[in-house]
Amino acid sequence: MSSAVSTKQILTSPIFANNPVAMQVLGVCSALAVSNSMQTALVMTLAVTFVLVMSNLIISTIRNFIPNSVRIIAQMTVIASLVIIVDMVLQDVAYELSKQLSVFVSLIITNCIIMGRAEAFAMKYPPHLALVDALGNAMGYGVILLGVAFVRELLGRGTLFGHEIFTTIENGGWYLANEMFTLPPSAFFLIGVMIWAINVVQRKRG
Amino acid sequence: MAFKKDTVAGTMIFIISLSLVCSFMITGTVEILKERKLVKKRDEVQQFVLRAANVDISAGDFRELFTERVTPKMVNLESGEFVAQENLLDLDERMAAINPETSSKPKKDTAKIKTRANDIRIFEVRDESGQLTSVVMPIYGKGLWSMIYGYLAVKPDLNTVENIIFYEHGETPGIADFVTDSEWTDLWKGKQLFDEKGNIAIKVVKGGAKEGDVHGVDGVSGATRTGVGIQRAVEFWFGVEGYQPFLKQFAVTEAK
Repeated sequence: MSSAVSTKQILTSPIFANNPVAMQVLGVCSALAVSNSMQTALVMTLAVTFVLVMSNLIISTIRNFIPNSVRIIAQMTVIASLVIIVDMVLQDVAYELSKQLSVFVSLIITNCIIMGRAEAFAMKYPPHLALVDALGNAMGYGVILLGVAFVRELLGRGTLFGHEIFTTIENGGWYLANEMFTLPPSAFFLIGVMIWAINVVQRKRG
Repeated sequence: MAFKKDTVAGTMIFIISLSLVCSFMITGTVEILKERKLVKKRDEVQQFVLRAANVDISAGDFRELFTERVTPKMVNLESGEFVAQENLLDLDERMAAINPETSSKPKKDTAKIKTRANDIRIFEVRDESGQLTSVVMPIYGKGLWSMIYGYLAVKPDLNTVENIIFYEHGETPGIADFVTDSEWTDLWKGKQLFDEKGNIAIKVVKGGAKEGDVHGVDGVSGATRTGVGIQRAVEFWFGVEGYQPFLKQFAVTEAK
């Protein structure tokens, strides 16, 4: 019974209680850069999810064969190969979008969440738990990224996924778009607010 | 013998096999995407050529339109004659232009392209009745920073510009963007490439062409060198080392 509980915990704790971006402050760089619209945030989340799940699975599967002295190199090799694949597929499926995400897809390689989960979790646990852990962390990353992107796109441009929600003054509506939200610094404030909010909720729960 | 992972040999074996597996994953993906990439490139060429020839592609399938109206042909630049070659749509022009076996150094490299392919792919465009409406020819040359790639379509008189498009360049963003803008390329329509003596006369004029100048296209201020690069590219490609032998041959065969 205890194993079932821990599986659930592995999945849910990274979403809020131990969120990789907000609590461990990992992978913030990409969260700042690609969170100015819902679309890029969603694609980035999907890309990170794929790389995280696959790398955790592969590394966990071969964890007993990885020599201790080269374990970081082995993790990097797997992660880098996966990122190259994601990059190629993205360029094929959505060329325009891949140009917007530009260098940040390649930079998934250095995203500390993925390295962190590979080193801290996948090296020690069997594949099915590593898979659950990867999904949980990917969701944690996605929650922050999409949350920030939601606020930034809505307040910055009055749209969501490119669809108009608030009609801006330029288009004859009432909403004066706040340009600050389309610029990277706003993501700092928003992530800061989110960290605070998650902390408050966590403390109340004890 | 059990696998001892922490020995030197074990580490070697592990890293080598991991690298092999990872490289197979990547090459596998490349292989799967290759065919789709080829199709995309083919589509792109077809769209560019139709746009260059002023064929409306908004209605209907451009691929059908292309097969119906356009005939790609290989031309030997030196002799000006057609060369038979299969699968013209999958031709890798960039490769052909740098491969020493299929390219040569121009004597007067005014377009700064270093080497050019011996055989070039051109496109004959016809209307519904099969009447020749234009010949689309690729041109490229160096602008200020980068190679500018485009297609120029000439009317059947082989002198009047039907249209010109540029589809790739790395010039200053924001300043040289006009080269892909139809507002600027429209200025080329109806201009004449050659003067009465048959010399190349088309010019990108700094400060604006005079009204009624059949050879002059307005330059864009702030992007003089880009304009000069385009002019030199057209001069080169429609000069003696470019399409001139072909145009002479073609005029004779078409007249028959």
